Amino acid sequence: MDLIAISGLLLLVLVLLLAGGVWIAISLLAVGWVGMLFVGEVNNPGYVLATKIWGNAASWELAALPLFIWMGEILFRTKLSDDMFRGLAPWLNWLPGRLMHVNVFASGIFGSVSGSSAATCATIAKIALPELKRRGYDDKIALGSLAGAGTLGILIPPSITMVVYAVAAEVSIIKLFLAGFIPGLLVMGLYSGYIIVWALLNPRKQPPPEPRMTLAHKLRESANLIPCGLLIILVFASLLMGWATATECAAWGVLGSFAIAAWSRSLNRANFWMSVMGTIRITSMIMLILAGASFMSTSMAYTGIPVALANWVDGFKLSPYMLIAALTLMYMALGTALDGISMIVLTTVVVLPMVQKAGFDLVWFGIFLILLVEMAEVSPPVGFNLFVLQTMSGKDSMTVARAALPFFWLLVIAVALITVFPKIVMWLPDKAFAEKVVPKGRS
Amino acid sequence: MRRLLDGLYLWAGYAAGGFLIAIFAIMMFMSAGRQFGLNIPAGDDIASWCMAACAFLGLAHTFKSGEMIRVGLLIDRLPGGVRRVLEAVSLALGLGFIGYFTANAVRLTYDSYRFNDLAQGVLPVPLWFPQLGFTAGLAILTIAFVDELIIVLRGRRPTYEKDPPRTAEEVIERAIAGGV
Repeated sequence: MDLIAISGLLLLVLVLLLAGGVWIAISLLAVGWVGMLFVGEVNNPGYVLATKIWGNAASWELAALPLFIWMGEILFRTKLSDDMFRGLAPWLNWLPGRLMHVNVFASGIFGSVSGSSAATCATIAKIALPELKRRGYDDKIALGSLAGAGTLGILIPPSITMVVYAVAAEVSIIKLFLAGFIPGLLVMGLYSGYIIVWALLNPRKQPPPEPRMTLAHKLRESANLIPCGLLIILVFASLLMGWATATECAAWGVLGSFAIAAWSRSLNRANFWMSVMGTIRITSMIMLILAGASFMSTSMAYTGIPVALANWVDGFKLSPYMLIAALTLMYMALGTALDGISMIVLTTVVVLPMVQKAGFDLVWFGIFLILLVEMAEVSPPVGFNLFVLQTMSGKDSMTVARAALPFFWLLVIAVALITVFPKIVMWLPDKAFAEKVVPKGRS
Repeated sequence: MRRLLDGLYLWAGYAAGGFLIAIFAIMMFMSAGRQFGLNIPAGDDIASWCMAACAFLGLAHTFKSGEMIRVGLLIDRLPGGVRRVLEAVSLALGLGFIGYFTANAVRLTYDSYRFNDLAQGVLPVPLWFPQLGFTAGLAILTIAFVDELIIVLRGRRPTYEKDPPRTAEEVIERAIAGGV
């Protein structure tokens, strides 16, 4: 059997297992094992599996993953989300679209302390949805902007999905985090810009403005956001200046989150253990998927499929833009069935060699992938943010999906922009990494 | 028996939680201690072993709580009978591969013990010791798979299956637990 036929067969096995509801991590192990059957010289694939995964799991860099997850888990259990709406609303009242912008900014801020999109979406929507409804804002734009802005959770660092990609693609976590900042601001700008344009075109759908507040009053309303702001600056600065490694930075983030929780008096024994066990469940779930993926990649490397596929695709002589367009379509299709993490670990092993061959930077490609995962989260049938909003608003899935559609297209525009101007992604990490000699172990 | 098994999964989960706290403590100590010239010998190594133990000891608890990701698009829409058969097939496959993985992890740990492999870093710890958490976590996950397979074969509802969320609080809890 030639390699292309083998890859077809493996793909079929994978699709059957996934569609049959076999856990993703187990499906990856299974495909890795089947792949090994085609390789003659490996006499004990199971031993390769255990050795490889032990080597990958006992990793000091990976220890950043549970710590960043923990940081988010602690902050969800504080009153931060309640403070967010009150603290941001007075400052955004003057923009056309008024409090609708709170959705975008609150999600952006929450995204800088949380690494998960669905959680960002749910946390912000819980407060914003009833408040906006009470004031008479348009349902459709409110739902759409919440769905879209919620996805900022994985684009603005820290991001669980980015850690997973960094491990799968063997790129620096810090570089990837830094690369996410400007695209994150870009997406926020696109969202807010759309809300402004919409508000100017539909003046009749605008509720009356909020009563005016004095500056002192505004500041008082926002005072509770200051600790969170400090935490974000602390985490960002230590990444940018290279004060700490990603793992240490995550540990400081956890400490800061504890301080915020203690400040708002929401730290107690029950909350503490809930946050610990919640972190464990997410970490274990992701680690088993990573374990399955690393076995599958090893097995693929033995078969030589990734190189063969890269050469095969290279044979089409696609221009780099055509390749990115084709990959965008492929990931949009995958996004209808898979969650972001699975999408990344399933595809990196075969896609990365192609992308590298076409001359793209792997850090850039990571941000590209994150944007595609965001698109998947706001598109039916399994978009997690849609599901969250559907349950919270009591609307049916089609209404929510239609409301999110403009924001889906804005993400497509963001993908096009970073493809044409890769500097948007690479400027910050290049700048931060060019100026210092990176100390050992801080890759 | 039921209580014994559930206790095993839960306590392995708590142990994983302990390792999480240990990672945090080590990283804080290393980061802050550097300013004062304090250092933990092989702190990086210890943190990475804690990481492996943390991730793998939590597996059974994660699986039982229904947090292991699968594609529910098809299986959630199937009628009861067909679904139960598919559920059993998934569990049997899972048991096969996790069992295979566990058996080899046990062999790896035993080999480290037999050949007295030492860690490469500053601290020459016998490697079988940190590997214990990894191997034990996998072994407990294998037990959890046997447990669930028996439950499904007896025609009962698997423990990991959850009702769809109803209140906003439940949605948030699920959204956080999803990690995506």
